[in-house]
Amino acid sequence: MDSWVRFNAQSQAKEKVIRAAQYACTLLGYTLHKGGAAAEVRKTVSQLEAHMSLTRKLLRLGNSVEALEAAKRSIHLSDSVLRLCLTISHLNRAMYFACDNVLWTGKTNLISKLDQHKWSERSFRYYLFSLILNLTRDVYELCLLMESEARYRTAKSSSSLHPSSTSPADQLSSPSSPASPAIVALPVMGAWLRRQLHLVVTVLYSNPPLLLDLLKNSCDIFIPMDRLGIYSTGPGVVGACGLISSVLSILTMVYPWLKLKP
Amino acid sequence: MDAVIKFTSQSQGRDRIFRATQYACALAIYLLRNHSERKDLVAKLKSLEAHMSAGRKLFRLGNTANSIEAAKRTMQLSDRVLSLCLTVANINRALYFFCDNVLWARSVGLIRNIDKERWSVNASRCYFFSLVMNLTRDIYVVLRLMLQKARDKRCRQKMDQHLSESPEVAEAVIPQLDAFIFLLLESLKSDPALALDTLKNICDLFIPLDKLGIYQSHGGVIGFCGLMSSLIGIVTLARPTLRIKP
Repeated sequence: MDSWVRFNAQSQAKEKVIRAAQYACTLLGYTLHKGGAAAEVRKTVSQLEAHMSLTRKLLRLGNSVEALEAAKRSIHLSDSVLRLCLTISHLNRAMYFACDNVLWTGKTNLISKLDQHKWSERSFRYYLFSLILNLTRDVYELCLLMESEARYRTAKSSSSLHPSSTSPADQLSSPSSPASPAIVALPVMGAWLRRQLHLVVTVLYSNPPLLLDLLKNSCDIFIPMDRLGIYSTGPGVVGACGLISSVLSILTMVYPWLKLKP
Repeated sequence: MDAVIKFTSQSQGRDRIFRATQYACALAIYLLRNHSERKDLVAKLKSLEAHMSAGRKLFRLGNTANSIEAAKRTMQLSDRVLSLCLTVANINRALYFFCDNVLWARSVGLIRNIDKERWSVNASRCYFFSLVMNLTRDIYVVLRLMLQKARDKRCRQKMDQHLSESPEVAEAVIPQLDAFIFLLLESLKSDPALALDTLKNICDLFIPLDKLGIYQSHGGVIGFCGLMSSLIGIVTLARPTLRIKP
């Protein structure tokens, strides 16, 4: 099984490049449609997109096994939230690939009477669940890092050489005049929000793998949401998001240190 | 350039499996051609073969650069004959991939005004030349090994023993031919990678020979040879020790 996984991993790079090209075609098709280009050009672009989509399905034929192996590995993680999120995400991915393989056999007429729409919906549903879980994991990691960063900052400020430097909250918590709690709460919340935002930006800036993974999953989620009709955005947005997420995943393959671990 | 090469070489394994499937389908179609009750199955196999072939063409889009880099590397080999054979083979492979890419662009409709037949013949010709150069290299290595073995005392003792074992056969047949075949088999046995590579190239040779009309064989032979060479390719990828170097 191990040797199959190693074998499998070798073609992911090309698959990502073809994915980028496929979504570039989607985006191009949309811009050509908006720009009023000739029908023949649009037909060529859409045929090219369909050809790439089918080839990618062919390339993904063994990926369920790889996803199941990844799920087996993630069961042994120490952090329970990570363990839950990643294992279920990998299992959903395995189901997505299985549905995708069935869809390929339908499109190549190996199985003649296949309800392609139904299987397509199923595969996108599993893909959506897996993306939601990946995003949950990203948000969880972000919160953990923000917490540690906040603790580090308070530790730094409390051991600083200027004892008069109090946090903005302390200053605001001692109002000069007795005002109603609602009017006091708003600036407090504003300051809190600003502080949180600053924390998020700092954490993401110092953790490029997390930033890339968050961006990639956020872009990816528009695709199944559009295809399932949950939040229809249209081919332009789908193409752009797909292209951005493919480019980001190619980056993580070319520079392995950019990949979020585990 | 280095990053491009690392990228494109990562999908060789999958490509070989698809090639094996493609030629297995071709062989099955030939074997089932006279069974009218299996027409459905034959249609499905034809569709599968076409999809594998089309997918592989897309897959191969980056391989020209790969072959050019391989040619650059083989130019620096110390052995002159090896260097020449392998460099010419790699250059021809690069040309074959280029023709193949053009054919892919034609098949998806990106380029329309090209003569598909002419480009297909050119692609087969380049592939044929690269296979011939690879076989030349195999023959050169085998001859070198045989010369080495002929000078080796132990091997000479074995050969004398073999020739004297069956004297009536050795006298009926030319003893030099017998000795030659013995040396050849010994050399191939001592270098399994070389034997596999030779077999692979011979099997592969039937495909362009048929396409170019030099030696017309039927679909069954093509399918079988293609399947054999793909299986050998998979074995050499799975067991790197069985891969011929350089």
